Amino acid sequence: MDPVVTATGLAFAYGDIVALHGVDLEVPPGLIGLVGANGAGKTTLIRLLLGSLQPARGTITVMGRRVRDEVLEVRAHVGYMPEGPCLPPDQTAADFMVYAAQLGGLPIRAARQRASDVLTLVGLHEERFRYMGEFSTGMEQRAKFAQAIVHDPDLVLLDEPTAGLDPEGRVEMLDLVTRLDEFGINAIVSSHVLTDIERTCEWVVMLDGGRVLRSAPLTELSVAEEVELQVLDDPGRVATALRGAGAEVTVDGTELSIRHPDGDPFEIVRDVLAELGDGMRRLGSRRTTLEDIYLGGGNDG
Amino acid sequence: MAEGVVFDLGYQRHEGPRLGRRGALRALVYDGLRRVFGLRRKLRRKVMPFLLVAIAVLPALFFVAIGVIAGEFDASATLFGHPEYFDLTGAIALVFCALAAAELLVPDRSAGTLAVYASRPLTTLDYLAGRAAALAAVVLGFLYLPHVVLFFGRAWVSPQGFGTHVVDNIEILWQTALGSAVYMVAFAAPAFLVAAFSSRIAVSAGVYLGVMTISGPTSRALVDAGFDPLGLTALQHHPGYVKDWIMGSSTRTWIPEDAGFDAWVSLAVIAVATAATFAVVVARYRRSA
Repeated sequence: MDPVVTATGLAFAYGDIVALHGVDLEVPPGLIGLVGANGAGKTTLIRLLLGSLQPARGTITVMGRRVRDEVLEVRAHVGYMPEGPCLPPDQTAADFMVYAAQLGGLPIRAARQRASDVLTLVGLHEERFRYMGEFSTGMEQRAKFAQAIVHDPDLVLLDEPTAGLDPEGRVEMLDLVTRLDEFGINAIVSSHVLTDIERTCEWVVMLDGGRVLRSAPLTELSVAEEVELQVLDDPGRVATALRGAGAEVTVDGTELSIRHPDGDPFEIVRDVLAELGDGMRRLGSRRTTLEDIYLGGGNDG
Repeated sequence: MAEGVVFDLGYQRHEGPRLGRRGALRALVYDGLRRVFGLRRKLRRKVMPFLLVAIAVLPALFFVAIGVIAGEFDASATLFGHPEYFDLTGAIALVFCALAAAELLVPDRSAGTLAVYASRPLTTLDYLAGRAAALAAVVLGFLYLPHVVLFFGRAWVSPQGFGTHVVDNIEILWQTALGSAVYMVAFAAPAFLVAAFSSRIAVSAGVYLGVMTISGPTSRALVDAGFDPLGLTALQHHPGYVKDWIMGSSTRTWIPEDAGFDAWVSLAVIAVATAATFAVVVARYRRSA
């Protein structure tokens, strides 16, 4: 499948502060996570995708269109949910959605129909005639999400969609994001909450200091490759035996983390414990999380 | 009896036409028109614009009503011909411009809605042109509507008959339209400029009204002190001077006129100031994009 976003040597700086250092990136269709700490370059990358910033160097293509040459065509097929506020408080949700759809290029009749459909989809149908200034944070986030998809884009850019939401609101928002895939809408979800990305996305792009740490399928990043073992007796003796059998072992109290580059770590644990005659309390695979990879500088997994 | 069935149609993709930039621009202008008059917004947002329109139109209706009662419109008795009517509505138009320009630009910035525009098929220039077009349309309408009421009201009560009056005085329609356009450009451009740099509607309106109001007396004092070129800083006086030039009237002595400038110089000042204003506003929005 054709990539949704392709960036080649993409660089951008705010004065002397370099935000992106020659980023090369190819993002497939689907739900894509864009993770990184504050200042990693996530929002800058999103604004470059929208064409509201011009790169100092390099090229960027969205849905097969070069942003520099066809920015309006790109924007007609892209939706954007900004991190900050974007809703006029003195307009009703229904009116604003119709307007947002028209701004996306939809004729008035289609805009009205889609505004109604999308507000129902995000659970704001009952609130559609309320002024948005009266909305709670959760309703505001859902209205922001609605305006991003009301003109039926092929790609939607969601900047911190769960920001400020309580746990229940967070779950609802993540469910909405997950459903984009079934609607046939690609999404790039920018977040520094790694568990949100793990829950919703199939592919993850990790940014750090304006550089791409990783760009890979989430399944590839979070394979079970390490086991965790909790022993009943002396962990030092077990660790020594495991190392002797070729495993890499780290010890933390009575817990051992074991990697075995040349084979199945479960088998080596079984053999060593049987040989020593030691008991164990718990044995299980340790799933590599995005957090592990991120804190490890993107080299794990 | 068949029971109702709920069909989950799921998400429907839009298969119809997309109007692109043209459609977006049209929506932007219509939104601007609605916004200035507070349409589809809370009642209190409608009060001020409609009150100002009423104040601007009421004198025209009043003079027509007198004509109806008296059986004839006596322009000399009322002292209010079309040129004088501009002087009457000018001050009200200033307030209207101040509020309209602020209403069009300030909320989009303060509510963060510019982020939505930045993700739609519109350029910065499109956005500003759309807002400026809405401002121009409402201010032009505001200034011209009373003249239309006055003109056709006079025709209605004219002893010559409606048709004859209209045909004999048809030049008034284009002269007042042109005069309204000059007032619109001269008043709306600075309002647009101030609104582009303000973060609150009240501040924007206050600063604009303050600058426009104070420019007259300040300029007058400078001209009286012998600094004639500074007569061109009387912002409120340029459109009136040009209006008198267009209509062949002389309703009062305008400061640029006192300073020795011809009416075309005032027209040139308006044109240059408007072009410069738009350039500054575009640069401001591009820099903050």
